[in-house]
Formats: sequence, C-alpha cells, structure tokens
Amino acid sequence: MNEINYLLAVILVMTVATYITRLTPFLLFGKGQESPLFNYISKSTPPMVMTILVIYMLKEVEYLTFEIVHTFIALLVTTGLHIYKRNALLSIVSGTIVYMIFVQT
Amino acid sequence: MIRSALKISLPILFGFLPLGIAFGLLFQELGYPWYFASLMGIFVYAGAAQFMAIGLISSGVGLLEIAISTFFLNSRHMFYGLAFLEDFGKWNLRKLYLIFGLTDETYALLTSIKVPKNLTKKHYYFFITLFAQIYWVLGCTIGALTANAWSFNTNGMEFAATALFVVLLIEQWIKVRRLLPFIIALIASIIALLFFIKHMLLVAIILSIGSIVLLRLIKIQSYE
Repeated sequence: MNEINYLLAVILVMTVATYITRLTPFLLFGKGQESPLFNYISKSTPPMVMTILVIYMLKEVEYLTFEIVHTFIALLVTTGLHIYKRNALLSIVSGTIVYMIFVQT
Repeated sequence: MIRSALKISLPILFGFLPLGIAFGLLFQELGYPWYFASLMGIFVYAGAAQFMAIGLISSGVGLLEIAISTFFLNSRHMFYGLAFLEDFGKWNLRKLYLIFGLTDETYALLTSIKVPKNLTKKHYYFFITLFAQIYWVLGCTIGALTANAWSFNTNGMEFAATALFVVLLIEQWIKVRRLLPFIIALIASIIALLFFIKHMLLVAIILSIGSIVLLRLIKIQSYE
C-alpha cells in the first residue's frame, strides 16, 4: 500500500512539475505582446527547436559503425519521400520500416 | 473538423504509439498494476520524463528530487508556449488543456501545419492535442498490458520518432525559407553536444534563442 502511495505521489509531483514548464510563457507574457523582437523570437523558435530535436535524436548513433549507415539510409528514405510526395505518414512509416529491416537482419 | 484533425495528427500516432509501448513495457518491470502506466500517460504526459521516472521510481528516489529532475528535463517546454500566446485564445478549460498537451511532438506538429480556412484555429488545435494524447495513453497502456505476451520484434521502431521530427523539420523549411534559424540551431546544438551533453536540449535552445535575439539587436542598432 505504501508503494502505491509513493507512486501516486510521484505521478502528482511529476504532473505539476511538467505543467509548470508548459504554463510559464503564458503566465509571463499575456496576450498582446506586440513588440517586433518578440514576434521575431516566436517565429524563429519552431525551426530552431526542430533542428535541435533532430540532432538530439541522432546524437546516440555510434559513428564508425554500420549503425550510422543504416540511420543515414533510413533518413534518406524519409527525406526523399517527403520532398517527393509530402505525405508525412508515408515518409515516417517507410523510413522506420527500412530502419527496422536493417537493425533486425 | 474532427476528421481533418484526426488525419493531420496521424504522424504523431506513428511517433507516439511505439514510444508509448516501449514505456509501458519498461514500466511493467517495476511490478505495479498495468493501469499506472496509463495514469502516467494521462497525467504526467511527458515522454522523456516518464522514461526517466522508471529509473527513479525503481531506486525509490525522494519526491523533491523527482520534482526537480522532471522540471529541468522538461524546462525546454518553457519556450514552446511562445508560439501560441495568441492562438490558444482566452483563458478557459480548453486553453489549460492545450497548454497541458504541449509536448515536443504536439508543438512540432502545431507549428508546422496550416489550419484549413473554414475551421477555427483553437478548436482545430484542441482536437489535434487531444488525439495526440490519446495515442500516447494508448501506447503506454498497450505496452503495459502486453508486456508478457510480446513476441513481435520491435527493434528499431524507435526510429519513428526521429522520422517524425525530420518530416516536421522539412515542413518548417518549406514554411520559413530562411536559412538563419536552422544554421544557428545547428551551431548551438554542436556546442551543446560538445560541452553540455547531459543538458543538450535545454542548452541548445537557450543558445539559439540568445543568439537570435543578439543578432536582431545588433541589426536594429546598426540601423539607428
């Protein structure tokens, strides 16, 4: 029973901590932030975050192994298909299947 | 509206379902009933933090430490809301939920899509956010429920999350068409990887935003 209480408390604490991070900008900057600098920041953030997230996901890839070749080919499939067809689902599923085939064989 | 939101949220399904299942599988090793994995997906709803929690829970780490680790791990989310200060509308339950659901994946998708002309942005965003969380909770639950009966080889399935971000990166490029933010983020990431690998995400985001503000201020100054 104590263990369950601990887990429930962990869930509560994590919920609050996570929510605070997501809520902060809305509390700090209400509506109507009309300054051009602020606009510029909020427009530039998405492409920067996306670049960082992709690099973050790839940082575990060990170089000088086949893994880097597998990852590169799977990325090529996803990127190529997406530029060619622009169907997100198709690009994600194809790249993942190619990667899974490499990893499992 | 609902059908359109469902369709556009499907890429998240392919990112979240395998990750959620992986979480559920690992979570089961702690020995708690399966529905606690679902509860974590419903309330905590943060991929990386949930994975981190498995390790912390298994070693019985104190609540304060868990709170601080979660806060720092997720602190990058502090920058995500900036893109939606106007779009989430007035303060009400829907806005509170939209903020709650602002994960990496939802943020990435919402900033990449174009809302169909005949639909209201905040309603459209709401359904996408809701569907995304449903996929995540579904993944966590399936993983925990089937932990013992798993025979399908899921090796490599985690690539779906990478592929999702790559697709959204291309979408950002199509939308923005300016090299500068991408290059700044690339340089910031390399610096963060070299010197702050443990907090790479947060450091890279702060460096990027810091640089772009600095560049902008220098530009404004030189005009005056």
